[in-house]
Amino acid sequence: MTKRHTRLFFIGGTLLFAAIFVALTVDSHRQFAALTNADKITPDVIAGKHVWHRNNCINCHTLMGEGAYYAPDLTKITQQRGEAYLTAFLKDPSQFYSEAVNRRLMPNQHLSDAEIREVIAFLEWVSHINTNGWPPRPIQVSTGAMAGTTAPSASATTEAASNNPVALGEALFRNPAYACTACHSTQPNVKLAGPSVAGIATRAAERMADPGYSGEAKDASAYIRESILHPSQYIVPGANFATAPVGGISLMPADFGTRLDADQIDRLVAYLMTLR
Amino acid sequence: MVFGLLDAVKYLGPDPLINILPFDRVKAVHTNLLLVWVLTGFMGAAYFVVPEESRTEIYSPKLAYWQLGLWVVGGVTAVVGYLFGWTEGNKLLEQPYVVKVAIVVVMLMFLYNILMTIRKAGRWTTTEGVLVAGLALAALLYLPALLVFDNYTISIFYRWWTVHLWVEGVWEMVQAGILAFLLIRLSGADREVMEKWLYVIVGLVFIAGILGTAHHYYWVGVPAYWLPIGGIFSALEPLALFVMVAYAYVAMRRSGMQHPNSLALHWTVGSAVFTAFGAGLLGLSHTWPSVNKWTHGTLITPMHGHSAFFGAYVMITLAMITFAGPALTTRDVQSERKMGYWAFWLMVTGMFGMTLAFGAAGIGQTYLERIMGLGYMETQLKLQVHFLMLTLTGILFTVGVGLFVIDFFSVPPRILPLSNGAAPADAELAVAHA
Repeated sequence: MTKRHTRLFFIGGTLLFAAIFVALTVDSHRQFAALTNADKITPDVIAGKHVWHRNNCINCHTLMGEGAYYAPDLTKITQQRGEAYLTAFLKDPSQFYSEAVNRRLMPNQHLSDAEIREVIAFLEWVSHINTNGWPPRPIQVSTGAMAGTTAPSASATTEAASNNPVALGEALFRNPAYACTACHSTQPNVKLAGPSVAGIATRAAERMADPGYSGEAKDASAYIRESILHPSQYIVPGANFATAPVGGISLMPADFGTRLDADQIDRLVAYLMTLR
Repeated sequence: MVFGLLDAVKYLGPDPLINILPFDRVKAVHTNLLLVWVLTGFMGAAYFVVPEESRTEIYSPKLAYWQLGLWVVGGVTAVVGYLFGWTEGNKLLEQPYVVKVAIVVVMLMFLYNILMTIRKAGRWTTTEGVLVAGLALAALLYLPALLVFDNYTISIFYRWWTVHLWVEGVWEMVQAGILAFLLIRLSGADREVMEKWLYVIVGLVFIAGILGTAHHYYWVGVPAYWLPIGGIFSALEPLALFVMVAYAYVAMRRSGMQHPNSLALHWTVGSAVFTAFGAGLLGLSHTWPSVNKWTHGTLITPMHGHSAFFGAYVMITLAMITFAGPALTTRDVQSERKMGYWAFWLMVTGMFGMTLAFGAAGIGQTYLERIMGLGYMETQLKLQVHFLMLTLTGILFTVGVGLFVIDFFSVPPRILPLSNGAAPADAELAVAHA
């Protein structure tokens, strides 16, 4: 083997693999539109991308796992937190975390209402990109405590409970697609983005006896149902999720009435009514 | 350096500077200064190696000074801009558009000057050819960074053409070229043999590295066939780096550590070994798709990033500076260089410690957050002890850098008339950037 041979190896190898790379790139371009829902890239999404870049978000957060590891990944954030929550958060992040507890804070970026709407639209579009199954398990911003240590495993739940509405409701509650656990802990006194659901049945009953209650429910299970379907109907005074709502709107997503069918809501309520 | 240390402390929190100097700005300065410093070092090295290899003088030292001036102005503008939030916010390619254009202009000035130097001499060696080709391709691959796409996935796709194909492609070519130059000079190994193997190394770099780009594509919205391609070719990437170690080892074995500039030998061999460790082994540890699925976006990435960049690009640049020192300054090659050795070992130890700290934090994060499902915020609180380690080893590293700089400036440069070469000033500024 002489220098001439190895030079040939270098040039030939490089050209060959560069050609393969270019061919794969061309093929990827044929598929990008479908994989990324390119038809959903509205002017708001594009403007939101500029907001994302202008504010240097990527040098703390990650998006699709790329970024700076100093702050949570935001790939699926719009599926875990509703628009009302994200809007309130972006207006003043310091309302939501405490430096004493979390040791890190997000500086207020002083975004305008339009910029907030745009960046949320951008993140919403990102959350639907086909990421080849990543993340394999939802990445939570905050869980308060170890998830999975208090609940039976998901498969055991479904097996044992094919007919039991309470167990089915619990499986629903823990289903990452609906992300209830992203904001509600089942452990007492753990406040995430929303209040803990530990003891919710007892509290719901107390609420019915409270003259300050202004909603339409007549009993505890109806109150829980109302809170799921119409979170803004009645907001508990003084709770952290009530200090920041935009114009008296709860931070909880208001679309569970369309995402869950009547049976599913029955089961969810049945499960929550067991938490005394 | 200073900014990196600041970031490490911010990981520990609380952060009193959050509204003046938040993490994102500090981080952008940290990474961009590294890139500017390494590129300055590469260009300085080329201005030294090319005239040496072609046995001539630089075509136009004046142009080189102008280029350096524009480069420094561009770099300083970008860094000051980041501090005030002037950024395009695209990871590692944050440079505002005008700065990007200035970078391209500087690169063209540089390449023109180098190519005219070679033309003037009328002869070139494989070693300098590889080095210059690497820098020319680096300039070419910066061009995708100028493209803007509405589709975030597509902009990520081309961002990696610059970032990945730089650091795991053409920059390795530059590193290999400098390594070959240093090994030939330091060991007296046979040029024909060394250059033959140099082609093998850069061939392996590209055969694995080009398709290895795929390991950045797995989860960003690309067709699924990039996963197996990324897995296989990333696994091949360390091969070139191990050949590099063998290359250095064989060259050194042949002649022993006889060369009087044994500090330069330390940096040269150290670079080959640390690259194989940081870029090769630690890179391999998380590029396989079924592993990366869990570790992607955790602190495992900076573990690999810090050690790879230090081994491959910082150490080779420092090797070049140490080697060129006696030729360009009044330093006596026989002189005792205690401080230089302290700098070497403190930097190596500090970086090794930082790598371990990031690694331990990354493994903890992967298990707690990604596998067990604990929240991001809670997980980070449990990693505090590793951030403390990171800060302490970072301080060790900084002390090493400080000693290197003091040692470097302890001897005055040889003052020559301008027409006799501009390399001294270049090498000096390369260090000043640290």
